[in-house]
Amino acid sequence: MTEILERQSFESLAIGDTITGAPFHPTRETIRDFCEASLDYNPLHWDDDYMKGSFGKTSFGGIIMHGMTNFGILTKMLTDWLYPMGGVHRRLETRWKAPVKPGDAIVPTGTVTAKKETAKSRWAVIAVEIKNQHGATIAQGEAMAEFPPAR
Amino acid sequence: MSSASAVAVDFWKDEKTRKMWDDIVPGAPRRTVPYVLTREAIQAYCRSVGDLHPLYMDEAYAKASPFGGLIAPPSIHILLMFACTPMDDWMRSPGTVNAGQSWSYNVPARPGDTIRMDARALDKFIRKDRLFVIHDNVFFNQNDDVICSGRGWTIRPM
Repeated sequence: MTEILERQSFESLAIGDTITGAPFHPTRETIRDFCEASLDYNPLHWDDDYMKGSFGKTSFGGIIMHGMTNFGILTKMLTDWLYPMGGVHRRLETRWKAPVKPGDAIVPTGTVTAKKETAKSRWAVIAVEIKNQHGATIAQGEAMAEFPPAR
Repeated sequence: MSSASAVAVDFWKDEKTRKMWDDIVPGAPRRTVPYVLTREAIQAYCRSVGDLHPLYMDEAYAKASPFGGLIAPPSIHILLMFACTPMDDWMRSPGTVNAGQSWSYNVPARPGDTIRMDARALDKFIRKDRLFVIHDNVFFNQNDDVICSGRGWTIRPM
């Protein structure tokens, strides 16, 4: 599978093309910054005492990164890839598979799985994933991008 | 910036008045509050996820781009969701666990936009001994353009 470095276009996209996003290294400080920037102060993300317990049948054993941080870094991967092509990020669907903790290192990737021309536009479907430093899958999902035809 | 104690007070405040899973009625609109999105808020969000694209950070670059000015990244709805959610809403209940989301994007949000959220629970169910709610949110700008629409799954605290 070829890592894409040169400028691409809808025409040049091939099923199986891969995208790799910037690695992200969550720390207690980045998680705190995300609390402030997202206004999401759920104690899951800052309260060590609270996280010693269990709730909703789930126990994490310590504070965890916001699941939506995964969403933000997947979005960055997609838009960094799309903007130079004139592509438009239209959809992102994700499921969280495992929690991320301070000190982890996570990397987003994508793989083009389909291209489709419709009555008025052109689209690509991209399978997306985030893995941690142990190779465990943290998040999985699917994105869709639009490549409006030149007028 | 908020101190840890202020955060604790804020987040547990109103906890007893928030709806439990039992009280949530799928289909009923949630009360929301309009929010004025600033450049500072957009850029603080961008820094928190390491996304420093010049379309979000560099006014001169953005002005010369097809967007004609600074925009917010698509994922800004992460901030908008809580910005438009009142303190007594069940989405703020401590221990709410996000199990997954899907979002569709129309036009970008921009600095200075006044954002409105239409929100409701769509469904609730029990699975693997956990209490789930599915919610949907739609964000509009001051011109009633749809910015984005999304659906999420949360596991509710018991």
